[in-house]
Amino acid sequence: MRQLTLTAAGFALGLASATFAEGYSIGVSNTVQGNGWREQMICAMRAQARVSGEVEKLVVAHRNTDAAGQIEDIRNLIEAGVDAIVLNPANPDALNSAIKDAIDAGIVVVAVDQGVTAEGAYILSNNQSEYAYLGARWLFERLGGKGDVIYMRGAAGTSADNDRHDGFSRALAEFADIQVVHEVFTGWQQDQGKQQIFDFIATGIPFDGVWTSGIDNVIVDAFLESGAPLVPIVGADNAGFVAMLQDVEGLQGAAVTNPGSVGGAGITLALRILGGDVPESRTVLVEPVLWENTSEDGREMIAAAQNPSLDPEWPVSVSVPGWTTYSMDDIIACEGPGG
Amino acid sequence: MTRWIGKHAWNIGLAALLAALLGVTKLIQPEFGVSGVESLTRAALPFAFATAAMAVVVIVGGIDLSVASMMAVTGVTAAVLMQHAGDGSSVAVTFLTLLVGVAMGTVNGSLVVLTKVPDIVVTLAMLFVWEGVALLILEAPGGAVADWLMAAVVGGLGGVVDWVPRALILMVFCISVVWVPIKRSRLGLSIYATGSDRAAAFRSGVAVGRTRVAAYAVAGLFCALGGLSLTMITGIGEPVPGPYLLASVAAVVLGGVTLGGGRGGLLGPIIAVFILRLIRLMLTLMAVDPNVTTIVEGAIMVIVVMIGGLLTLKGRRR
Repeated sequence: MRQLTLTAAGFALGLASATFAEGYSIGVSNTVQGNGWREQMICAMRAQARVSGEVEKLVVAHRNTDAAGQIEDIRNLIEAGVDAIVLNPANPDALNSAIKDAIDAGIVVVAVDQGVTAEGAYILSNNQSEYAYLGARWLFERLGGKGDVIYMRGAAGTSADNDRHDGFSRALAEFADIQVVHEVFTGWQQDQGKQQIFDFIATGIPFDGVWTSGIDNVIVDAFLESGAPLVPIVGADNAGFVAMLQDVEGLQGAAVTNPGSVGGAGITLALRILGGDVPESRTVLVEPVLWENTSEDGREMIAAAQNPSLDPEWPVSVSVPGWTTYSMDDIIACEGPGG
Repeated sequence: MTRWIGKHAWNIGLAALLAALLGVTKLIQPEFGVSGVESLTRAALPFAFATAAMAVVVIVGGIDLSVASMMAVTGVTAAVLMQHAGDGSSVAVTFLTLLVGVAMGTVNGSLVVLTKVPDIVVTLAMLFVWEGVALLILEAPGGAVADWLMAAVVGGLGGVVDWVPRALILMVFCISVVWVPIKRSRLGLSIYATGSDRAAAFRSGVAVGRTRVAAYAVAGLFCALGGLSLTMITGIGEPVPGPYLLASVAAVVLGGVTLGGGRGGLLGPIIAVFILRLIRLMLTLMAVDPNVTTIVEGAIMVIVVMIGGLLTLKGRRR
């Protein structure tokens, strides 16, 4: 009986808070599921929506699909009557019809991570071309401007991979004596990337460095397991790889930040626009930072970013200064408003 | 009349389920109306063509795992060719794309028949082949589509029938124009005969090999329509295949087509496509945890097919 009363009281409280919280309803659309970066993005969105106190309901459409599927999700979110949609676009051009419908319905649309070309949408993204350029330039300088590198790209045919390819090519053009001996698409899959590097090590063709598009810690694993001599490796700021930069003896490497927490920043931008605070430019770029373990300063930055409770596939940079207000615990808990 | 009902029991049941789900959707979201149905139909379009393709091959007793890849090939073909084409030549491109689909289907079917390797193995291999071909044609999403094609799937018919989505008319028209004449012809009879018992069909004088190739070619044609519909919806071509393979198998099973072949039609699977899309919409409206939605989708499918199976068994015993 007592439990029943408690439950009833809890229920009443829940109802009361639901009616008092005069908040927005925000929709989220994402098309890659089961990838550490995207999971962090979703968790950042949930955490930011929760701590903002302005969001009553967060509707998350989060699955593996193509652009047509994302159009379906956006239309479903319009049907759900949300005030704003924060999405990670599958493609910059393909979603325009659905985004236009949303904007016509008075919905604020914010694209995070990658841009969209639809008129009236806001974009908040990591600068992907710069991401690849920074890491590639560090690697080529580390090799003294001369040598053979393995180029492990992301998923073929995605716009993030294409932007990174632009940046990588830009750096490559600056170093005439750097050769790409092997170019593969990891599909941003850990197991696939590891098998690919194993296969190449087994060929015995010499190489001096590896650039990866974020499938990084398994590459280090492959060197350690096969006993091949370590070469400089460039990866992203995934927790597992950053820990390796600190702990693995003899590993020279650099991690380029590509925070998945731009998702949380996207929620903040959407809330600001809903509150009447419209940014001057429709595009806001988050610039990447490079952390390397070959200098004292770099090692300090890496040490400061460590947190043992982070998922090893998550990016270590869990927040975007000036944009996200949640704590490390909030994002790890990954709970949305009312959850 | 009772015979008609008995023959179409599964489709009637599915239609009733769809109507009930539409009612529930209206309860969850009172504003759900014409625009909601229009979005739903547009979302269902590529799934409907993929499902039609899969259904034809399953009816003939095979399975085609390369449907999504063929859609990708035809989608990028159309998008690349249309990028620089005027309105006039875009019509030609559309027909050329359909031919590409038929050609790919014919290759699939011929390989299955000539090599005598099981359908599932050949089409699994072709899944990768067509996927690679799509990436060769277009490395990254791009291209363009003629405006009249994009307009063909947006909005309603206009006037008093504005509540009828154009996408629905397009879907029903394309599938009927291809399938109804085939089903009523000798080829249709051969397809069903081959699917229900290949040896018996052969002994009755059906050209089994040619029939199977023809069924795969028809599937290729539907895939081309699916690929075109994808570019019509997005305005570009995408070389990476979407989630249409498993979704089409699901809709075919839910639509009452026996996986062994020889039984079922295209109407049931198409209604099933709408049911599956509507469930996704309902789960979004209810803000269900996205990691749970796929479980719910799968569970609903198993339950419906199970209940259907039990009812059929009961009906036979009586």
